[in-house]
Amino acid sequence: MNLDFTQFIPSMPYILKGILVTLQIVVLAGVLGFVLGIILSLFKISSIKILNWVADVYTSIFRGTPLVLQLMLIYYGSPQIIGYQIEPYTAAILSFGLNSGAYISEIIRAGILAVDKGQQEAAMALGVPYGKMMWDIILPQALKNILPALMNEFISLTKESAIVTTIGVMDIMRRSYQVGAENYSFFEPLLIAGLIYYLMVITLTLLGKALERRMRRSD
Amino acid sequence: MIKIENLHKNYGKLEVLKGISTTIGAGEVVAIIGPSGSGKSTFLRCMNVLENPTSGRILVRDQDVTDKKTNIMKVRQNVGMVFQHFYLFPHKTVLQNLTYAPMKVKGLSKDQAEKIALELLEQVGLTEKADEYPTRLSGGQKQRVAIARALAMQPDVMLFDEPTSALDPEMVKEVLEVMKSLAHTGMTMAIVTHEMGFAREVADRVLFLDGGVLVEDAPPEEFFTNPRSQRAQEFLQKML
Repeated sequence: MNLDFTQFIPSMPYILKGILVTLQIVVLAGVLGFVLGIILSLFKISSIKILNWVADVYTSIFRGTPLVLQLMLIYYGSPQIIGYQIEPYTAAILSFGLNSGAYISEIIRAGILAVDKGQQEAAMALGVPYGKMMWDIILPQALKNILPALMNEFISLTKESAIVTTIGVMDIMRRSYQVGAENYSFFEPLLIAGLIYYLMVITLTLLGKALERRMRRSD
Repeated sequence: MIKIENLHKNYGKLEVLKGISTTIGAGEVVAIIGPSGSGKSTFLRCMNVLENPTSGRILVRDQDVTDKKTNIMKVRQNVGMVFQHFYLFPHKTVLQNLTYAPMKVKGLSKDQAEKIALELLEQVGLTEKADEYPTRLSGGQKQRVAIARALAMQPDVMLFDEPTSALDPEMVKEVLEVMKSLAHTGMTMAIVTHEMGFAREVADRVLFLDGGVLVEDAPPEEFFTNPRSQRAQEFLQKML
């Protein structure tokens, strides 16, 4: 194998800047997806039929079509949907957020259903209103149990974010690819990109474990 | 304090309560006993509308809780409930279990809520457990915390749904002691229980339910020494 990383040293700062872009997309999309996931999961367990239906249709659409298609529909479709062309960066956050909201809602729903029904009764018997009960009593217990599944979702979000390359967002992936094109050699910069993604995921995993330990204090 | 008029509860075709009427006066301690499946837990759970009555009326402090317009949440603040399986909030410490509802529902300040909570923990003998999480407690301790949690809302009525049925035998006594001293404070209490000795000693009245019907309603001495109905006689024979 004929590897020469030295010629890419000058391009390293350029590639590394992509970390910030990727991180921004992942964090913002993650927050959006999480908030959306909570709302949708509450819709799904609601006794109001129309809310169940809305959340189910939403999930079925976003799980049932490719993410790269959703990304392109939102990016290229924006002039027709909202009347002007949105930034690739915005389209990336939107599509990833909306997409992971569908997955996260299922994770949270499972978590809520796994909390003992008695917890809800105990809160009701104390006169705690539904919103506070969910927020203070049910969701914290649900989140503790689903933390590993949520970490999975955020990890795959981090890796899958590489497809924003297709609409021209300057993330790690696209920068590595460009550096490869400039030097007529793709293998090394792509290996560098791979290493960066891997290290990001490892960091995320460690953070997740620390968070889980913190939440397991009460055990 | 609680007035129940012709209470019915059906689960689909199954009739669990078949028209129960009775009154629980202020300061009265009522033991609700009967064989499993007699509807006694459902009866109790109707009183704070954890179960929705199918028909009939329940008045708690003159408020009709079966009326859609009544703010059930408000009524529940005055009706404490203790469950067979405790249902303490596992992610909160003992103290936080006691202060949560007074702070979030009644709007007490943290200081006020903690003052009440610590007094109650002393009453149930668990002051030193204030900062522990519930998983670190024994069953009896958990139930005492659960009683204190319900009392922290300073209710007028306490409902107990088989509070000692999930406990190891050696822990039953400590919970019954707490309930006994609570009864002596003049608290209105409705207790679903299998502890016949306790019912006899502490209750002012015994309600005997069988098959969703209130078969007997009598003072404990009368009920335990001279039950009128055949069903109660059989039941008591099996219990002894």
